[in-house]
Amino acid sequence: MAPRWIWRLLATPALVWLAVFFLVAFYAIVSVGMGNVTTLFEPVPHWNPLHWNVGYLWQAIKDVAPGGQTWNVFVRTVFYVVAAMAISLAIGYPVAYYAARHAGRRRGLILVLLVLPFWISYIMRMFAWTNLLASDGYAARGMHALSIDSLFNSLGLLDGTDWLGGQSVTVILALVYGYVPFFILPLYASLDRLDQRLIEAARDLGAPPRDAFRRVILPLSRPGILAGMVLIALPMFGDYYTQDLMSGSPNTTMIGNAINGYVQGGPDKSLGAALTLLLSAFLLIFMLFYLRSMRREQVQAGS
Amino acid sequence: MTNPPDRGISRRSLLRRAGAVALGGAAVAGVAGCENTTTPVPASGAGGGGKGLLGDPTAGGPVDAAGIPLARRDYPVTLPKIGDSVSSSAKVERGGELRIYNYADYLDPGVIKAFGKLHDVRVTVTTFETLDEAFSKLSTGGLEFDVIFSTPDQLSRLVGRQLVQPLNLELVPNLQTNVWPETISPFYDIGPRYSVPYVVYTTGVGWRNDIVKVNPNALPTVWDALWDARGQRGKVQLLNDPREAIGMAIMRSGSVDLNTEDQKTIDAAVAQLEKLDQDVRVKVSISAYEQLPAGRITIGQMWSGDMLNAVISYLPKGTPASVLSYAYQEVGGPVFNDVITVASAARKPVLAHQFLNYMLNPKVAYDNFVNFVGYQPPQNSIDAASLFKDGVLPANLRSAIVTREAYANGNAYLTLTAEGQRRWDRGWAKFRTS
Repeated sequence: MAPRWIWRLLATPALVWLAVFFLVAFYAIVSVGMGNVTTLFEPVPHWNPLHWNVGYLWQAIKDVAPGGQTWNVFVRTVFYVVAAMAISLAIGYPVAYYAARHAGRRRGLILVLLVLPFWISYIMRMFAWTNLLASDGYAARGMHALSIDSLFNSLGLLDGTDWLGGQSVTVILALVYGYVPFFILPLYASLDRLDQRLIEAARDLGAPPRDAFRRVILPLSRPGILAGMVLIALPMFGDYYTQDLMSGSPNTTMIGNAINGYVQGGPDKSLGAALTLLLSAFLLIFMLFYLRSMRREQVQAGS
Repeated sequence: MTNPPDRGISRRSLLRRAGAVALGGAAVAGVAGCENTTTPVPASGAGGGGKGLLGDPTAGGPVDAAGIPLARRDYPVTLPKIGDSVSSSAKVERGGELRIYNYADYLDPGVIKAFGKLHDVRVTVTTFETLDEAFSKLSTGGLEFDVIFSTPDQLSRLVGRQLVQPLNLELVPNLQTNVWPETISPFYDIGPRYSVPYVVYTTGVGWRNDIVKVNPNALPTVWDALWDARGQRGKVQLLNDPREAIGMAIMRSGSVDLNTEDQKTIDAAVAQLEKLDQDVRVKVSISAYEQLPAGRITIGQMWSGDMLNAVISYLPKGTPASVLSYAYQEVGGPVFNDVITVASAARKPVLAHQFLNYMLNPKVAYDNFVNFVGYQPPQNSIDAASLFKDGVLPANLRSAIVTREAYANGNAYLTLTAEGQRRWDRGWAKFRTS
């Protein structure tokens, strides 16, 4: 085995790269959020913390507080993301479980199928859906033929028959479609590493399959589920182009769209940056929760 | 912002110049520098202080407190000449790349290719969705172009930020000879110093007459057609443009003051838009030219050129052009033009001038119009009536053509003060995050 310093040396460039590009970019956002705008509405970052202007941050906090301008958008975003995560769990877990434990010779095929979507860019795939889901598109007509749209109608999930006409359900399903592979892959990796002997022990000790799953496999797959959840929750919270393509209506605006709107034009680019900071802080809570529970799992595994 | 040194160039009065333009139409052979009178130019309006605009004594016109020129039809603006334009004897650059910044689908690829062939250059077009986005990206300095397409109300910001360079009109001779006289030296850019007109348009209501039965002209305002389109939920377009969207709501309330800065008027207009969204669930976009013929949008606020563009390039097989209809507000509705400018960061400024001149060539302008874009260039040689007679364009879209009379009498979204712009933008943000 190579001495430790070699590995440290080899890892340094990438670590420096990550640190610099994360910190510089993040500090730029902070400086814009704590800065001001010119009369031409160009952001003037305040790089010196002594000159920070907290007005925009305060405005952003007031906006996302109940009753503020972005409160509705914030609640909607949380709802969309939670719904998308729940659906991802419901459809992703069985796939990962099957691929890891029962697929046998087909495991390779399933993995290829899971990675296949990444051969085409996310945006292109979403564009494809805008054609499929348009009123004259194959998917829309197919679902109409199968009465899926009227089923969604009667459940109150779809308003009218136009899937692309500002429907929350379309945006949520599109988020699921876009991110579910990111959920399945880490979950698969974790289920694949599951210690077979623990399951055998459960069965040997008389647990029926359902109990073995509920009391052994499920708790053991918690780290995988958490990792997958965090992995998809973070980008979904900041996502804006899915909404742009699948709806474009103010009724489905997510927090990413609000930030994009502020940053793309107008006098409130600093407000956009401040909102980004709030979102980062919010996501940090997720991240800390994830790290904490990972540590607890490790401690448990170690004991 | 650095002010150019006051070199004491000779001056003459803005009013005289504006008068000369109005009378002679084309009396602008020389730009600043060749002028030989000595009357200082008062910048009428607040903050001008007689020093012209941005320190250029030859510039003038109404400005806001921050010095941004506020051109109005009755108050023309001569934009400050910042930096030197290229010399008439400069050699045309060859080879490499000519970089253009424009809306998507707003320039005929055939025309671009022909220009590239002509000058042995690779022409690349980068696109933006909104003008605000374009300005933001340009002003960060991260994007560099040779040619920038924009609108008159953005022009003063582009000049103020030194993102565009003064033109040498000797390199753009087609301007004097081919375009409508009223667009040669327009009130937003007397001279012109920075811009040539690209295409003219109206903003109106377009709809699929086979799906929506409506006659907007019979309604109190044509815009009521959108508020009435409850049956078209989710298929109603609202232009993704704060000025156009809020302006439409203002017009619906009976006002034609499209450049108002009154907070109450703006708030009321935003409330109208929110009501509209509740009733018909709008699609905020600018792609009606593609979505209307496909039936994904069935009615909406759109630009006149979108209609012809739809006919030219986007009708699906089996859908006749006769299903498209268009109406605009004839009194006080927006009728205006877009502009083409040369970027201050241009690496091929002479070639960029050639491109401007090329776009003003009657044949090129015509091809660009009827083969692809559908937006009409203000060319003297293009007789709209004959286009319909010859069947180049469908007769049911006669209303999508802009006449010189309509242009001369039209209303327009013009530059606002920073505070006014802020009010419109905040109103728009409020609507978008509703």
